[in-house]
Amino acid sequence: MKTTGNLIEKIFYDDDIVKKFTLATMVWAGAAFLFGLIAALQLAYWPLNANLEWITFGRLRPLHTNAAIFAFAGNAIFAGIYHSSQRLLKTRMFSDLLSKMHFWGWQLIIVAAAITLPLGYSHGKEYAELEWPIDIAIAVVWVIFGLNFFMTIRQRREKHMYVAIWFYIATIITVAVLHIVNSIAIPVSFLHSYPVYAGIQDALVQWWYGHNAVAFFLTTPFLGLMYYYVPKAANRPVYSYRLSIVHFWALVFIYIWAGPHHLLYTSMPEWAQTLGMIFSVMLWAPSWGGMINGLLTLKGSWHLLKTEPLIKFFVAAITFYGMSTFEGPLLSIKSVNSLGHYTDWIIGHVHSGALGWNGFLGFGMIYFLVPRLWKTQLYSKKLLENHFWLGLTGILLYYISMVVAGITQGLMWRAIDGQGNLVYPDFVETVIRIVPLYWVRALGGLLFLIGFILMCYNIYKTIQLAPKAQEDKAVEVARSGYDEVGGTAHRKLEGMGFLFSVLAFLAIAVGSIIEIYPTLSLHKYVRPDSITDPYTPLELAGRDVYVKEGCYVCHSQQIRPIAAEVLRYGKPSTIEESMYDHPFQWGSKRTGPDLARVGKKYPNLWHYSHMVDPRAVTPKSIMPSYPWLAEKDADFLSLRKKLSVMKMVGVPYADDVVANADIHAQKQAQQIAADLEANGSPKGLEKKEIVALIAYLQALGQKGKAQ
Amino acid sequence: MKQEGLKYFTDTHLTGMGLLIFFIFFVGVLFWVYRKSSTEIYHKMEQIPLQDGE
Repeated sequence: MKTTGNLIEKIFYDDDIVKKFTLATMVWAGAAFLFGLIAALQLAYWPLNANLEWITFGRLRPLHTNAAIFAFAGNAIFAGIYHSSQRLLKTRMFSDLLSKMHFWGWQLIIVAAAITLPLGYSHGKEYAELEWPIDIAIAVVWVIFGLNFFMTIRQRREKHMYVAIWFYIATIITVAVLHIVNSIAIPVSFLHSYPVYAGIQDALVQWWYGHNAVAFFLTTPFLGLMYYYVPKAANRPVYSYRLSIVHFWALVFIYIWAGPHHLLYTSMPEWAQTLGMIFSVMLWAPSWGGMINGLLTLKGSWHLLKTEPLIKFFVAAITFYGMSTFEGPLLSIKSVNSLGHYTDWIIGHVHSGALGWNGFLGFGMIYFLVPRLWKTQLYSKKLLENHFWLGLTGILLYYISMVVAGITQGLMWRAIDGQGNLVYPDFVETVIRIVPLYWVRALGGLLFLIGFILMCYNIYKTIQLAPKAQEDKAVEVARSGYDEVGGTAHRKLEGMGFLFSVLAFLAIAVGSIIEIYPTLSLHKYVRPDSITDPYTPLELAGRDVYVKEGCYVCHSQQIRPIAAEVLRYGKPSTIEESMYDHPFQWGSKRTGPDLARVGKKYPNLWHYSHMVDPRAVTPKSIMPSYPWLAEKDADFLSLRKKLSVMKMVGVPYADDVVANADIHAQKQAQQIAADLEANGSPKGLEKKEIVALIAYLQALGQKGKAQ
Repeated sequence: MKQEGLKYFTDTHLTGMGLLIFFIFFVGVLFWVYRKSSTEIYHKMEQIPLQDGE
């Protein structure tokens, strides 16, 4: 086989864009870790919410997750992709302009997120909180990135696409599909919109997105980076190239199906739950195949751990990949999930992935890249070592404390005594028990952050001490692989970027369509005799406050058909009950109790006192206070528009209700305010947000004929 | 209600089809990848990251 071309060309790689993305990764990592640490401390010590609406946990947590996923991991992926793709494809990126547009567009999106999320502009869907104008910007920037990447593939000099490129292709295609499908919403105003999906549809689409954000934003691109940077750092090829191909196709095919494991024991149909569970369990095999492939690449190179300590980060990252991909399928088994779901176990799980796998792989990559990009040596290997051990200790403290907290709380929730009563009927009892572990978690986060600060200093000194004259060096490349004869069909496929991309798309489309299509025919599941009534205009205004304050971050609205749960919260939730919920608010974590049937459980005054100061009614509560709800006016004026949009997406409002929405709302608000006043609350609350929120909370589980 | 949903759900052939497509594809990939004749090309492929001269 003849594989070398005869023409040697001199070209320049675009390393400037790689430098930019690398530095952006560092900046946003700092922000994401800091927000996370503050949020962790808020859970341990509620006064740190500081009665400031902008940094209250419900708004800070989305800021933290978005910063960690899209700002930190996102920029790290882009840095690695721009660096490795040029070298694997033996060509400069297609367009410097597109690269720059991608970079600055993405940073602008992050800044927009950092402004809008604390202000409470939110879709109310996890990791997809950003409002519609930002969603459109994300789609546009992603297309720019995709265009730049695919055109680079087109003009490549290396015909054979290395497996890392495959992982990048799958990432670009799938993230585009996920983001666009999940973000479809009808705007109400410049920064507010309602998703077209409701209830179970919204839940399924959201977790199809949410799970695959983990799969195709935090896994496949990082695996691509692993398949490039681990062999580079160890200076030996990947252990088994064959295994990497099986790893790729199996992951792409299976991952897309696993989303419903986020909805086990909800009112989602049993078949979809079973499907999600089975495919999650199947993921064990390819994930571990990939992990073993990564670790065995270092076979015979373990001595490098002494001379090249950055390899420690890769080894730990791959080990954490193995641990989290072992734990994920485990948590997807329904009986395990019934204990772990809604608890801190899940928080521990995602952080072993995010800090251990994404964080450490990203750090290892940056330690590898910076000296090469700036043509120098790393300032201090000793500091790197210290970073590694501090970070590792931090992750372990974080992970262990959260798993213990989760299992403890999960067991307390389900404990039933000999008479069939709950052993811990007060939810807050189960919270107080784990607060010490919240301190341990915060300590873990602090250690991780201190390690990162060492890294910042190390990288800063490395760049500072680098030679001042940074001339771009030309590299010599030759076309390769284009003159082979007699290649099989498979060889041709591996060389054809476009066809390959279509096949990867088909792989993810099959699972997506089969899983999502049936729920589009929602009417099949709904019993006409238990149809729910839409929210009144005031309740809808209150629901918007609920979404804005991020209540879903700590409260679920989904009672599972489990004995202890029915004893605690009432009968299991049904599909009908959330059929008009745009967006659904089933939640994924219970730092506070479930709210699906909280309506009419307490008097209006209880809710008023509870929102202004939770300690007034639940002395040991760790919930933040929301005093501003009693001060800020509710937005009644936009209700007509809001109801008309709701009607457009299928909520059966009568025309006169839409036309007089604000008047209906004011009337109901006056009744609630009068009741509050009669029981001793301050006067003049009828215009305030708190009255709308109380109306909504009192309606939960109380709508429709079935109640 | 879940059981009700399952009862009304009549598209099980879709999931069956999905499983079949997946299984055939997976076996196909294994067959492709582990053919003896591909050893040479994979040896070349795995060297690509190490050949950029950096």
